[in-house]
Amino acid sequence: MQQAIPYKAWSLPLSNNHATGVTPKSTTELSVGALRDAVSENAVIVLARRGCCMSHVVKRLLNGHGVNPMMFEFEEIDESEILKELELIMTENDGKDKRRVQFPAVFIGGRMFGGLDQVMASHITGELIPLLKQAGALWL
Amino acid sequence: MNSSSTQYLNSKRMDVYDTMHPFSMWGDFKGNLYQDAAATMILEVDAKLDNQSEDTSHTTNIPFNQYDQEATKPVNKVLRRLAQNREAARKSRLRKKAYVQQLEASRLKLHHLEQELEQTRAQCALMSGGVNASHLRFPKPAKSGIAAFEIEYEQWVEEQDKKTNALKAALHSSLSDEEIDKLITDNMNHYAILFNIKAAAAKADVFYLISGVWKTSTERLFLWIGGFRPSDLLKVLVPQLQYNLLDQQSHDLYNLTQACQQAEDSLSQGMEKLQQTLSEAVACSQALGGGRYEMHNAMEKLEELVRLVIQADFVRHETLQQTLRYLTTRQSAQGLISLGEYFQRLRDLSSAWATRPCEPTA
Repeated sequence: MQQAIPYKAWSLPLSNNHATGVTPKSTTELSVGALRDAVSENAVIVLARRGCCMSHVVKRLLNGHGVNPMMFEFEEIDESEILKELELIMTENDGKDKRRVQFPAVFIGGRMFGGLDQVMASHITGELIPLLKQAGALWL
Repeated sequence: MNSSSTQYLNSKRMDVYDTMHPFSMWGDFKGNLYQDAAATMILEVDAKLDNQSEDTSHTTNIPFNQYDQEATKPVNKVLRRLAQNREAARKSRLRKKAYVQQLEASRLKLHHLEQELEQTRAQCALMSGGVNASHLRFPKPAKSGIAAFEIEYEQWVEEQDKKTNALKAALHSSLSDEEIDKLITDNMNHYAILFNIKAAAAKADVFYLISGVWKTSTERLFLWIGGFRPSDLLKVLVPQLQYNLLDQQSHDLYNLTQACQQAEDSLSQGMEKLQQTLSEAVACSQALGGGRYEMHNAMEKLEELVRLVIQADFVRHETLQQTLRYLTTRQSAQGLISLGEYFQRLRDLSSAWATRPCEPTA
């Protein structure tokens, strides 16, 4: 099912994550090359292994805020490749960020936010909402 | 005159009054009464015996029966008391016999258990080479992690009760806020220890933790992903404080309650998803393109359970910490006391329920 899709040629919809009434199908299968675009173009994106129940937890948590995050699900075989790509993206955005990427990984506003722990902690302290608003994922 | 005739009766009618001697020797058990009663009886019988022959008095019962109809009320009472006493003595002897038998049986059982333990230890020593077998209760390494957890948790509970009491005493005394703060930090560090040992237990045997067998039965009633619900924390704390809260605090705590509930719900849904995918992995329907059943797929799912349990503990810990950030020193102390007492009471309730007197089924 995985094909090497040329960088420009994919036709899969990458929707914005503004809270609208319509919920587009946000789980997509993208090749690694499309990852970079997915991260930069989506206000909130969650990268996780397919079928991971922890990614489901993150998704539900964000849904509770009225946010419909883009879910980027990959097979286990692609994990190391995706990891490399992500670390590349992170060094480009913020070279000082030397954190190890843990899946499910959440990117907000094009920048790496963290894993489930960070999301949960910031959710409880209340720091998550202003961040989401800043990234344009939340309107209210 | 009286005493001499009494003595005469005692020597001549020894067999008659034989039954009374053992009674009088039971000093604490109405012995005095009997002595008085016996004396009374002797005096009364005295008058009637002069008309009796010695032969009729060889058996102990007959003279008493003969006098039964003619005897006055005190004699009836004495007879009844004597009979009851006999019965009580008999029952006491039977009970003692039963108790001794039970002791013997327990002793044998203990001996067998000790033998078994020695055998198991010997097995462990063989299996695990140089490992000190006395540290292991079970042969499997995972179970030793659980054995360690059981001991540590029991100690934790004891220590927690002490800390709660210390905090209570501090709050009602004239300690400064600084000193109360130290106790609060101490208490919070202790909670951190709880979550650490739970994490280790989750990695050793997640199913043990999730079953809740390590908790008391009433606590188990409220079990959610291997522990108490984070929202329960606030449900216990906030009502205790609500009349002393500033508007800003009420507002913050309300938001926290909402956030906590959302976090809890998302974890619940994660658990549902896990159950669903596990079920699918095990059922492995070929019609849905599942392919051959591979156990390792299902095993991977179970590893996610460990992550889920640890995440649930994380939410519990975070919620507790965040709550205290909104409260003053004294409010925090009160909050921690309420929490400690709540769990203490649940545990006590468990014991009380377990030891409540049961109606006989017959």
